[in-house]
Amino acid sequence: MSELARILLVEDDPRDVELTLTALGEYNLANEVVIARDGEKALDYLYYRGEFSTRSNDNPAVMLLDLKLPKIDGLQVLQQIKADERLKLIPVVVLTSSREEKDMVRSYKLGVNAYVVKPVDFHEFVNAIKELGVFWAVINEPPPGSVKKAP
Amino acid sequence: MMSHVAEGSTGVAVRRSLARWNVALHRGGPAIRYGFSVVCVAVALGAALALQYYSFRDVELPLFDLAIVVITWYVGIGPSVLAVVLSTACFNYFFAEPIYSFEVSREDLPYFFLFTASAAIIAWFVAVRRRIENDLRDTRDNLQVEVEQRKRREDEILKLNNELAKRARELETSNNELESFAYSVSHDLRAPLRHVVGYSELLQRQASTSLDEKSRRFMQTILESSKRMGNLIDDLLAFSRIGRTETKNTLVSLDPLVKEVVAEIEQDTGRREIVWKIHPLPVCYGDRSMLRLVILNLLSNAVKFTRMRAQAEIEIGCVDGEHEVEVFVRDNGAGFDMQYVDKLFGVFQRLHLPEEFEGTGIGLATVRRIIHRHGGEVRAEGGIDQGATLYFSLPKAQDAAERTANTL
Repeated sequence: MSELARILLVEDDPRDVELTLTALGEYNLANEVVIARDGEKALDYLYYRGEFSTRSNDNPAVMLLDLKLPKIDGLQVLQQIKADERLKLIPVVVLTSSREEKDMVRSYKLGVNAYVVKPVDFHEFVNAIKELGVFWAVINEPPPGSVKKAP
Repeated sequence: MMSHVAEGSTGVAVRRSLARWNVALHRGGPAIRYGFSVVCVAVALGAALALQYYSFRDVELPLFDLAIVVITWYVGIGPSVLAVVLSTACFNYFFAEPIYSFEVSREDLPYFFLFTASAAIIAWFVAVRRRIENDLRDTRDNLQVEVEQRKRREDEILKLNNELAKRARELETSNNELESFAYSVSHDLRAPLRHVVGYSELLQRQASTSLDEKSRRFMQTILESSKRMGNLIDDLLAFSRIGRTETKNTLVSLDPLVKEVVAEIEQDTGRREIVWKIHPLPVCYGDRSMLRLVILNLLSNAVKFTRMRAQAEIEIGCVDGEHEVEVFVRDNGAGFDMQYVDKLFGVFQRLHLPEEFEGTGIGLATVRRIIHRHGGEVRAEGGIDQGATLYFSLPKAQDAAERTANTL
């Protein structure tokens, strides 16, 4: 699974993970997802550390990032990625429950590529996730060095 | 203070007792003051006679003068006049030829006259000096009292300032707590709600064929309630945000703002017949987006509560006051019982059943909060089934601008 991960989902809540995967499953994108349950794991993945030390050599085509995370929170992860020459090209989409202006402003200042508030309504949620997945993992042409689309 | 210390404790004690004596004489009754005068002249006379006995001549006049000075200084002008008269009499009797008689020889008359005049002048000078010194002392005492009062007041101000700073810190802490609370609500309360909705939806999809009518209705209720709770959370967050975000005050012309909001509302009113009566509105000073929210809330309320009318009438106008303008929104809708008017602007307070009119009961609370932040007031009038009029006041543009300039 981690061999072909075009989407890196950073999300601590298992139910949100399941709902997101369900939504992505409708477009057969669920297999392309690798999940990091906190900020540290996400950085481990990007830096080939720990359990990800043997993963293939490409960056994900998109990273879906929750803001409220254990250990290292989403904004810190975002800051570190955008400060790193090798990682700053990875498109990052913040996917959060927070509609707080403070969070939005900070995310955009740190260079986030999109900011999506998780809708409470399930249909809207599924639609949002589907559209995100399709746009970033299929329609969008990712920067060089990312995982290639399956032919 | 320094000179007192240099003089030593005995110097201070003597000076204090003298001062006390001085004050006692001054405040004493006429008997004491005139008695003092008589005693002083008697002492001067005694001294003069004694000195004459020891063949010291012509010292009586300076001695009498000295007595007059002392008397004027310590007990005032009345006793000093008595002293002048007494001294003249004594001098005449004991020292002027012929001795031991009050007869005045022709050649001595100028001397008497000179003595009396000089004594009177001395007494007058001393009295003036005394008065000046008294004035100075009073002024000094007043100043001292004022300095002490000022010091006390300064201490008080300092204390109050410290308290204020403490209160400000406490407020800041609780404000921060409130902010993080609102943030938690925003993030943590919405997540489980999303799961309830999501999994109910999944369950419905999974089991829709095996569910009977009743179970499907239960399922639907869960979904609707969750949606309603989502709306409540969103409204509550928006409400709390009003208190936390900073207002960007500018001149806001209410006319275009109202037209803008009416246009927005009319997109959703569909085929309903609504007669808008919009009177000219003033320019206010405030945060445009917040004032827009006020007008949006009031107008959508008016539209909502006139739903059952064949023709809804909504009137927007203003009453010009001296320092503020009062804007009103009047409708011919369901109205409300004036008995419950104080509940109208409360958070989550509703005067109608959810089946009649939907809503979370936060719209008017938001209106009130925004208007209060602008330094205005809200009020309402209405009757059951007779429509409602909601008023909000705002400081006039000029007043508000001045007030802001003063506080800066």
